[in-house]
Amino acid sequence: MVEGDPVLRIRSFLIICIVLATLLSLTTQTIISASQPTDEPQSRFGTALDLVHRAEAAGATHEETAGLVILLNKALQLGDEATRLPSSEAQRAVLLAQVDDILGKVETEATRLEVTASQRTSTNRVVAYVSGGVAAFLATLAYACTGYVWRRYRVKRTFQMRISPK
Amino acid sequence: MYSQSRRYLLVVFLTFLVIFEMVAYVTTTPRPREQFFQLYVLGANRLLSDYYPNNDPNIGVGDLVRWHVGVTDFMGSVQLVVIRIKLGNQTIRPPDDLQAQPSPAPLVTEFRRFIQDNETWEMPFSWQIVNADMLGGSTRILEMQINNETYVVPGLSALDGHNFRVILELWTWEPQSGTLQFGWSSGNERRVAWLQVWFNMTSTVRQ
Repeated sequence: MVEGDPVLRIRSFLIICIVLATLLSLTTQTIISASQPTDEPQSRFGTALDLVHRAEAAGATHEETAGLVILLNKALQLGDEATRLPSSEAQRAVLLAQVDDILGKVETEATRLEVTASQRTSTNRVVAYVSGGVAAFLATLAYACTGYVWRRYRVKRTFQMRISPK
Repeated sequence: MYSQSRRYLLVVFLTFLVIFEMVAYVTTTPRPREQFFQLYVLGANRLLSDYYPNNDPNIGVGDLVRWHVGVTDFMGSVQLVVIRIKLGNQTIRPPDDLQAQPSPAPLVTEFRRFIQDNETWEMPFSWQIVNADMLGGSTRILEMQINNETYVVPGLSALDGHNFRVILELWTWEPQSGTLQFGWSSGNERRVAWLQVWFNMTSTVRQ
């Protein structure tokens, strides 16, 4: 009988203890991480900046990222205005919502830019390497033609030689 | 003879191929370069002079001081830069270049901005002491106005009002840690940029 077996009962008890301990530790971790003071607006700017950096690393140009920088500065300005209005909660909420909206746009645009810039960079790289191959072929062809023409010229000059007595 | 000629052309082709592919590699690979910022303070006329009204470093309460503060980004990417304005006296520690530690001087305010690579952000920086008092031979700055915003300075004093200083520190967003950090990372090194301008407050202070 299972119910009467002391070994099985101890094992079940241990399993329940382990499950409870795991659940407890997970819950505690969640509570701790939720209660930690987070610099939410600052980290949101950081996330947006990371995405802009990725777009730049993928090959986005100065002109392409200029628009994103204007938006980021606009968000910074609105954020600063929001911090100067601690008494007016409603106005503050409106400004922070605008900041959130702008940062969302920046993130979306930076992600799109990363994809297009990455594709363009890959294409440019492939074109550059293929051009290298084509240029090598054309250079070899030019070398062979020049050699052929030069040889013909030498043969012609040889047959045009005259022996003149001194 | 014919096959020898073909083999010779193949060698020529491979030589050209190596040369042109090397050129393609060099042109498509971005070259590494030194990453740094430039921080500067100019006087009222955007020159390295005229830092004080009438060129007198003795500032009185209500004397407006006009500077231009600028940062140039040479990091190769968009950066979030923060200029922290601190007020110090003679005894307070300046920022530590070797340990990349900021000054413990009280923070008055900060200015933040995203700037692109090779872009310079320059802003007018007008400031004045709007409230100060004198206690037992020691001058204490209480309030400071920067760009028409008034800031309370947490009790900073100097003997006879000598050797106060405005400290400007450059902080940047560090993507690895996700925080603002004094200076910036260049490879494995930590670099900092900061400036300080000294002034005295020996007149027009309330007793």
